[in-house]
Amino acid sequence: MFFIPGPVIAALTFPGVIVHEAGHLFFCRLFKLQVYDVCFFRFGNPAGYVIHGKTNQFLPLFFVSMGPFFANTLLCMVFCTAAFLPVWELKVSDPLAYFFYWLGLSIGMHAFPSTADLSNMWELAPQRAKQGNVLAIISLPLVGILYLLNFARMFWADLGYGIAVGILGPIALFRLLALA
Amino acid sequence: MQEATCAGCGLTANVKSFYRFDDRIYCEPCVGKVSGEATTQGRPAQYVALKDNSVCVRCGADNGQVDFPLVGDKPFCPRCGELVTQWPYPVWLKTSLAFMLALLLVALIHGKKYFRAGSDMYKGERLVHEGHYAEALPYLQRTIEIAPGSDKAVLLLSRAALLTGNVEIAQKAIQGHNGGNFEDTDNQDFREVDALWKRAVSALDKVEQASKLVEQDGHAEEAAHLVHEAAAEYPELSGLAITAETFDEGADFERKDYDGFLAITQRQWNQFPSSQTAAAMASALACKYAVTGDAQYRQQAEAMLDKAHHLGANDPAQNKSYEEYAQRIQYRLKSREIISPSEYNRRFRANQTKQE
Repeated sequence: MFFIPGPVIAALTFPGVIVHEAGHLFFCRLFKLQVYDVCFFRFGNPAGYVIHGKTNQFLPLFFVSMGPFFANTLLCMVFCTAAFLPVWELKVSDPLAYFFYWLGLSIGMHAFPSTADLSNMWELAPQRAKQGNVLAIISLPLVGILYLLNFARMFWADLGYGIAVGILGPIALFRLLALA
Repeated sequence: MQEATCAGCGLTANVKSFYRFDDRIYCEPCVGKVSGEATTQGRPAQYVALKDNSVCVRCGADNGQVDFPLVGDKPFCPRCGELVTQWPYPVWLKTSLAFMLALLLVALIHGKKYFRAGSDMYKGERLVHEGHYAEALPYLQRTIEIAPGSDKAVLLLSRAALLTGNVEIAQKAIQGHNGGNFEDTDNQDFREVDALWKRAVSALDKVEQASKLVEQDGHAEEAAHLVHEAAAEYPELSGLAITAETFDEGADFERKDYDGFLAITQRQWNQFPSSQTAAAMASALACKYAVTGDAQYRQQAEAMLDKAHHLGANDPAQNKSYEEYAQRIQYRLKSREIISPSEYNRRFRANQTKQE
């Protein structure tokens, strides 16, 4: 294992940071939460942020916190799918395909919600789960897993996640298509 | 900015530094004092901090004595109020997104051939795993046209081709893949194909060796034995079994076992009627005529020779071949003497070649 400073990783994978923050902003606007400040990318920690108003409703909180996780995962899969076959399976040297693989992996690497996002969810989820909120019930184990993965970032869990989504996703997709 | 005056000590300052207790306004030291007294007397002691809603919390704009409207629970100037409720997407972000989507569209159109090749490869892979090797071939051949450098596709195609006796297809695929070099020669798929390839090449080497032997008189038996070995070694190439039978004809001819010779040629003619099998049968019938003198064999031989001529009429190569063997068979019928092709050439064609 080797250490690369966070800002260097963020700079190399900057599209993922931008997409992640754009996801937060999108869901804030969708659920009409106030946005006090937005930084799409900077050389610092965190590499990007969206400061938004608080809410006691679980649905907006869930989507504002978890939305970027789903959006980044989906976009990672889409871009990597466009590049997966020429790069991995067909071994064709196609620069556009390599560009898309970099883009897809960069986006996938920044899918994990920050610990601040997860803390917000964790504050409200148990209470709403007790009230029978299905989304809150589902989100409890998800938040737990993502907490662990967030800590595992120092062991490149974020890159591992990007690779898993960018390779296993297209494999599953193409195998399904081949069965059709 | 709004100001307030402490009801306890008379201090006047920004309203943000004051607290409300029991409907009166106090500075921080005074509110602590009156709240403490209330606790001692058993009265409620809670107090709240006052806010200055005339200052925008985002940009610090001062509205004098007038409060800014609250957005959520915070005061914002009109410009910031609009911003926080409807934070705009920056133009560069929208442009980048549009550019990225356009690029994705280009990639999908550009990658159409890869999707097709990949889909064909997965279909081919499934068919290979199910043992439907012949059905897998066209899918994998299409993949190789796009991706000749793909280890996986080349190994799958080679495996399917070798298991159906299509050595040429396998050879073309392997040679087209970095001149036959593979990244990982330790993997199971490579080792399987390598073993198949070596088996096929060994069998074909034996056939080549047999073809050279058969050109020399007295080696037909040895040649037939080699081809049988090849057919047993590489049974996937069904043509080898037929080739072995053809070599058996030569061995029977050399042993002067003309009944055996005729039986094989008859079977081959029945199975695969062609100019070549007709000629072979004509040759065997001519041998039978030569040794028995039975005119029926002669008539049948002549009839088969006609068929051989007729069936190969449209093929220049077969026409040329007909001219070569027809003379020998006619000589056999005329003279009732059975001589090997090399002996016939020595006697009757040596001069022709020199004259040519």
